[in-house]
Amino acid sequence: MLKRSKVKSYTKKFPRFENESLSLYYAPRMPKAMIKETEEAVALARKFNDEVARPLSLELDRKTHEDPDYLPVELVKKANEWGFYTMWIPKLFGGKGFNLPSISYFLEEVGSVCVGIANVIGVHYLGMAACMMLSNTRIIKRVMNDVVEGEKTGEPCLISYCITEPTAGTDVEEVDLEAKGRLGCHARKVPGGYILNGSKIFISNGHFSTWNVVYAYTDLKKGADTKVALMVKRGMKGFSLGTHENKMGQRVCPASVLNFEDCFVPDELVAMDPDIIKSYTKKTPRNVNMQHIDYVFSISRAGVGAFGVGVARGAFETAMKYANETEIDGKPMVTYEWVQCRLAEMYANVRLGRLAYTEANLANQHRGAYNILQMKPIYYYLKYLPVSYFKKVIAPLLDKPIATWILSKWYIDWQKPDDQHLTTGLASMAKFSCTDLGVRNCQMALELMGKAGLRHDSGAEKIIRDAKLLQIYEGTNQLNRINLFKSIVAPACPKATFFEE
Amino acid sequence: MLTALNNDLKPFEDLITKFSREELKPHVEVHDRYPFGDLDVDVIEAGFNKIYDLGFLGIMLPEKYTGIGQGISTLCMMLGHVAEVDASYSLIIFTSALSQEIILSAQADSIAERIYPKAKDAKEYLVAFPSFTDPGQSKTLPEASPSGKGYTLTGKLDYLVLGSFSKWAVIPARISSNRGYSFFLVNLNDRGVTKSEPIFSLGLHACPIIDISLNNVSARIIGEEGEGERYFETASKIMHAAAASINAGIIRGSLREAMDYTKEREQGGRPVINWSEVRMILANMAIKAKVAELCVTQTCRAIDENLKDWGMISIATALHVHDLACEVVTDGVQLLGGNGYMKDYGQEKRYRDARQVQALLGLAPLKKLVLIKEIVG
Ligand SMILES: Cc1cc2nc3c(=O)[nH]c(=O)nc-3n(C[C@H](O)[C@H](O)[C@H](O)COP(=O)(O)OP(=O)(O)OC[C@H]3O[C@@H](n4cnc5c(N)ncnc54)[C@H](O)[C@@H]3O)c2cc1C
Repeated sequence: MLKRSKVKSYTKKFPRFENESLSLYYAPRMPKAMIKETEEAVALARKFNDEVARPLSLELDRKTHEDPDYLPVELVKKANEWGFYTMWIPKLFGGKGFNLPSISYFLEEVGSVCVGIANVIGVHYLGMAACMMLSNTRIIKRVMNDVVEGEKTGEPCLISYCITEPTAGTDVEEVDLEAKGRLGCHARKVPGGYILNGSKIFISNGHFSTWNVVYAYTDLKKGADTKVALMVKRGMKGFSLGTHENKMGQRVCPASVLNFEDCFVPDELVAMDPDIIKSYTKKTPRNVNMQHIDYVFSISRAGVGAFGVGVARGAFETAMKYANETEIDGKPMVTYEWVQCRLAEMYANVRLGRLAYTEANLANQHRGAYNILQMKPIYYYLKYLPVSYFKKVIAPLLDKPIATWILSKWYIDWQKPDDQHLTTGLASMAKFSCTDLGVRNCQMALELMGKAGLRHDSGAEKIIRDAKLLQIYEGTNQLNRINLFKSIVAPACPKATFFEE
Repeated sequence: MLTALNNDLKPFEDLITKFSREELKPHVEVHDRYPFGDLDVDVIEAGFNKIYDLGFLGIMLPEKYTGIGQGISTLCMMLGHVAEVDASYSLIIFTSALSQEIILSAQADSIAERIYPKAKDAKEYLVAFPSFTDPGQSKTLPEASPSGKGYTLTGKLDYLVLGSFSKWAVIPARISSNRGYSFFLVNLNDRGVTKSEPIFSLGLHACPIIDISLNNVSARIIGEEGEGERYFETASKIMHAAAASINAGIIRGSLREAMDYTKEREQGGRPVINWSEVRMILANMAIKAKVAELCVTQTCRAIDENLKDWGMISIATALHVHDLACEVVTDGVQLLGGNGYMKDYGQEKRYRDARQVQALLGLAPLKKLVLIKEIVG
């Protein structure tokens, strides 16, 4: 009915049809082996839930209430034993190389039993994503190597991402705000490295992590233009851990204070600073900073979306179990239409959320950070060649400046801005939609269960405490709404400006 | 708002705000750690005795039983003010009033006389009650059997508010020969009563709740056999308004803390209250706060003036205000960002408390069905 050229011209118009329906275009391109791998990740999560998470979830939560200083170190060791901290490290860097989108399904699965436990695993990959997206292959190799070694020795080596400061939370997630923010982490250039001063707060897993990706600024008044990304290892002089917070939920995952007092970080651990940026690109440091933030959060916000779906599912499953076991006026609760409709809505929320994070993953896979790994030949090459090959042949290359140069160019200069906008926007959409749906399901579960849901041993009350955090971290849901508008909707609103009202 | 409409409430308002500010506020965080933490039972009991000494445990109880004989407006005003600071204490006052309302609606004079005029302290005055239960919705209630002049009760009762503290409890139980259920007065110090450890719940931590099991415990009937449902309906009709007033107070507290914080907290080089989306959220919270107050005030009026359908108004108010509260407290945490999630601030407690309050007097969806049944007949 229409010529192909006409079809193309109509579908390319804003909003571009391909961008609006990623699953239609990209699902068929998925390498088959990825599906099997994802199934394996889900199966592992289910086994872990049966053997570890379910038996421990309420007990650990209770312990952290009895003693707010308690840190569930043994849980981290268990996750390490199960191989979860290297599962999604690419084989290139010595990990098991599971495809990165599969982590969402894994986190949803664990999150449906305990999203705090899912966070203890998942947030390590936020650290990994931040480290990788800084593109310094030598540093990536060193840090990932430590993680792999940690798995072998049984001494977990985790990575934290440390950007939030006492007076800057939303500000550090958006360069336009960072430029005006009250920043406190200062990095002073000295021969051979930087001297770091200041503190970071709310750092997930801070008390467990060995490596920390830390943002600091050489000029606190011009944060967006003078950002420095430093790798700080536990035990380095001048770096100490402060308290960890007494939180409402997700209590197995500590949110820590990190203090830096004249902490010297040598050049070899400087992953990014304005000079390094200048050596790769003509783009301004500010733009590259925003690009970096977008890359990291495009990955992690899809993961938080999966957490949101996890809690939505946990709430749904808890409510359904209750409805199956309870009678009203002598009839099973599940025979009433009003109960069926509520359970149906909760189930729908789970599925809708999963669609949202799947779209965000597809954007990462085809238009974002995972796009190299997703190309079929590269995917199969990485999958089927043995780790020993990478160790012998590839690993030595990673220490060469050219490797860092290529990776940096790939991410900084060789990607299309439109693709990045789409990817960050969809990640934000998944983040706020899934987490809002998660909290909504928790509320519905409590309403359905009444007093039975209020008791700690019911599990329902813990889920609603855990769920609330999801609307706050990885950018509050307000910031994520604005980011979605800015990245995807704004082209249709040419008069729109941001953070200037 | 209640006080603006009714000047007689002023002295009570002054008293309760002073009490909340001076006696409750400094201890909210420590009390919230109960049943864990270092808070010992003596400290909790001292707090209860203070509210007893001030007369807050008998607000609607007639003076002849040593109450202060006020109406629902006074009770709601007081519950709201206390809830702004620590809703756990509202639950204590609420439970005291609810068990009294059951006794009053059963016109059980002898029971009231046995408890209140003789009480020496809060333990004896404050009658435990399963305030989260609509006994008609419960599949399992203790069994009551006639024995001599009275009855004996056997069986389990869950989620008894103040069960670990009070001497007396009003307990619903079924008599096998009857349809429906009846209420009984039970001495919780009886040897046949076994008490669980305090139940660790979502919110309202400072008001202890336990499960009990009864083994041939002697009990006195309150009112008549099989009439429990009628007494509960009468009492809960009025107490729905009281439950709503607790959540209206929580809403006010949440809004106030959110406003204070967003005025102080800066992001992007300005107080966050100056970002229009933050204002929009605050505006929505403020609208809900006003609506909640209006609902409570007008319901109290309807009850005081004995409007024809005040019972329906009361239940509708409760359902609506609870919904509003659950939304407001979620935004209340949100506006404080990460700090809102921490125990150093009040918002996370309100997030938990509001949902706990929502579950008072039985399952919310069933209350809706009761309401529509009343409306459509
Ligand atoms: C348990 C926990 C774990 C965390 N883990 C980590 C971690 O591992 N690493 C890390 O670096 N950080 C972490 N964070 C920090 C988290 O990302 C921040 O809390 C979050 O970004 C919000 O920042 P804030 O708390 O400073 O809130 P604020 O930025 O102060 O925000 C307060 C309120 O103002 C609103 N607001 C602020 N600016 C604007 C604006 N311009 N427009 C509209 N609304 C605005 C916000 O939406 C919010 O409602 C964690 C936080 C928590 C609570």
